[in-house]
Amino acid sequence: MRNPLEVLVRRREASVLLVAIGLLVYFQASTPIFLTYTNLRNIAQATAPTAIVAVGIVLLLVSGEIDVSVGMVFALSPYLMHYAIDLYGIPAIPAIVLALVVAGGIGLLNGFITMRFKVPSFVTTLGMFYVLQGVLLTTSGAFPVPIPPETKGGIQTWLGAGDWASLTWCLLIVAAFHLVLTQTRWGLHTVSVGGNLLGATEAGISASRVKMGNFAIASVLAGLAGIMEAFRINSIDPNIGGGTRVTFTAIAAAVIGGTALAGGSGTVIGALLGMLVLAELQNGFNLIGISANPYFLIQGAAILIAMIANQYLSRLRRAGGS
Amino acid sequence: MFEISNGGQVLKKVHPAVEQAVDTLDLNGSTRRRLLSGAGLASATLAASALLSACKQEQAATAIGNFPKTPKWKFVFVCHVTTNPFFTPTQYGAADAGKLLGVDFQWTGSQNSVVAEMVDNTNTAIAGKADGIALAVVDKNAFKGPVDQALNAGIPVVSYNADGARNDPGTNRLAYIGQGLYESGYALGQRAVAKIDSGAVAGFIATPGQLNIQPRIDGAQQAIKDSGKPITFTAVATNADVTQGLSIIDAYIQGHSGLAGLLAVDAGSTQSVGAVVGKYKLREKGLKVAGGFDLLPETLNSVKGGDLDYTIDQQPYLQGFLPVLALYLYKLSGGLMFPTQTNTGLLFVTKDNVAPYQSTQTRYEGSSQEPKLVERSGPIAHA
Repeated sequence: MRNPLEVLVRRREASVLLVAIGLLVYFQASTPIFLTYTNLRNIAQATAPTAIVAVGIVLLLVSGEIDVSVGMVFALSPYLMHYAIDLYGIPAIPAIVLALVVAGGIGLLNGFITMRFKVPSFVTTLGMFYVLQGVLLTTSGAFPVPIPPETKGGIQTWLGAGDWASLTWCLLIVAAFHLVLTQTRWGLHTVSVGGNLLGATEAGISASRVKMGNFAIASVLAGLAGIMEAFRINSIDPNIGGGTRVTFTAIAAAVIGGTALAGGSGTVIGALLGMLVLAELQNGFNLIGISANPYFLIQGAAILIAMIANQYLSRLRRAGGS
Repeated sequence: MFEISNGGQVLKKVHPAVEQAVDTLDLNGSTRRRLLSGAGLASATLAASALLSACKQEQAATAIGNFPKTPKWKFVFVCHVTTNPFFTPTQYGAADAGKLLGVDFQWTGSQNSVVAEMVDNTNTAIAGKADGIALAVVDKNAFKGPVDQALNAGIPVVSYNADGARNDPGTNRLAYIGQGLYESGYALGQRAVAKIDSGAVAGFIATPGQLNIQPRIDGAQQAIKDSGKPITFTAVATNADVTQGLSIIDAYIQGHSGLAGLLAVDAGSTQSVGAVVGKYKLREKGLKVAGGFDLLPETLNSVKGGDLDYTIDQQPYLQGFLPVLALYLYKLSGGLMFPTQTNTGLLFVTKDNVAPYQSTQTRYEGSSQEPKLVERSGPIAHA
């Protein structure tokens, strides 16, 4: 048996976990409120939805692609649910499923355009981002709407409004996709096409099938997270993810968590921890009382410092031999 | 302090603050002299603790004006566009009121109107046991829960700048401090119909549905309708990004000749309307009235040059100053002095009174950081 410390250092998520714990210690030392029940709930709610989006981003990055349209799928899917329920009278649960199916379709379309027409996925999904934004703003009249009454109560609570609902979903999704990525054939193929496309294709893996599947997964997860976020804030708002904000935060979380932008390696748990780091920074600086303008300066510096520390620890890990 | 304690070195001059501080320690004469002359290591500790306790006492004993001494309360402002220059004077107002009353204020929220971020920040303020919250209620559904939670936790909440929808504030905040949004839009329209008898009027709005500006365009539309004149009103969405908004307004003007009036209900659109009126010399092409909101420098230039007839100042400084005051008085009186609905004003800036806005660099309009008295003279303009 290796000693536990060595195991910890060897794991890719370990360094970002250390950063997360370091921040936790720092903020708790700065303000005793940090680890209170209500504040932990705040951190959980700030972490979970974007972490769910980040899971999809990790799968895509690992398979060598990227999706910047997830932020708009995130904003559109609550409206899809609203249209289905309030305009077409579809019951709540099927309406939510329908919204997610449409989200999945958007992902497949992203994948299809990328693979069939050989358009780089960044460009494909950038185009899709604007298309979806146009669809969203046109169909909604850029006007916020209340949550459909049919979803009030149980559905709203379980799908985001409950104190720990989004975190529970997030942990389930992270656990599931951790297994998918590390234990299943799908995960193996995802890593293969991202790490060595030619080799993978020659070994008989259908790269477009794997990639299109991962595009669909990323879109569905973004759609689910968007619906959960709408339930949580009790309003369906066209600006719900701030457009690019969710996209960039999710990519940042994935990368901070140790997923390579170039493809071939990544970790879902790392993305969750990466998002936790970002949420801790946001929440902790808010609690300490840093105002909005200097906040960005400090957040930027904190990300850089956290990442430099992360890289340093990674190097130590590699030096440890593997 | 280091010098004082530096071995046997006797200081010729002892700083009065140190002497004062030492006086707060109940020492007999010789110890006091030894301390001041700095003989012995112990004197360092003594002097330090004396200074520290003196400082603490001073802080705690400071009661401001005629008010009793209070804890250092912290009020949190949650804004929908934290870095928007419109709110620069608001932050100065809150900071100035905070300094005046001995309270801290924190400026937080979303950079680009993301309601979820604002909800998170409000929840953080509640968890952080803020002593009061001022909230821009830009979504009438989303903030009900957080405001109720704050009130349940004993934290007073006022809304500022935006207050849910017309006739439905959406939250149980104690009071709204800001411009009457619908009323100001109505006034914008009323002033336009005074100059127009018939024709087409376009109303530009950056973000339709956003509750800090939508009520204004509703008000303007209603005022035009109420006038009973044969005027058609068209609302046109521009963009939160001023550069794109300008292109949209430019294109609209080119596609619609002979407009009688151009109105805008947000700062960016107003500035762009002024620019477009000047660019195409619309005054010579039948345009009778152009007006809008807020005091961006280019907007003021257009008012001065006659491209815009008027712009409405909603006095953002007061939207920071007055919430702090209201929250302070609420805390001070144990809740007996309840925040009141406050209209921060509806001030028309026209060619007649635009000059001082342009020539004055002042903290109270956000154009300078410096607290400085602004002199004025002459009669006050009135109807």
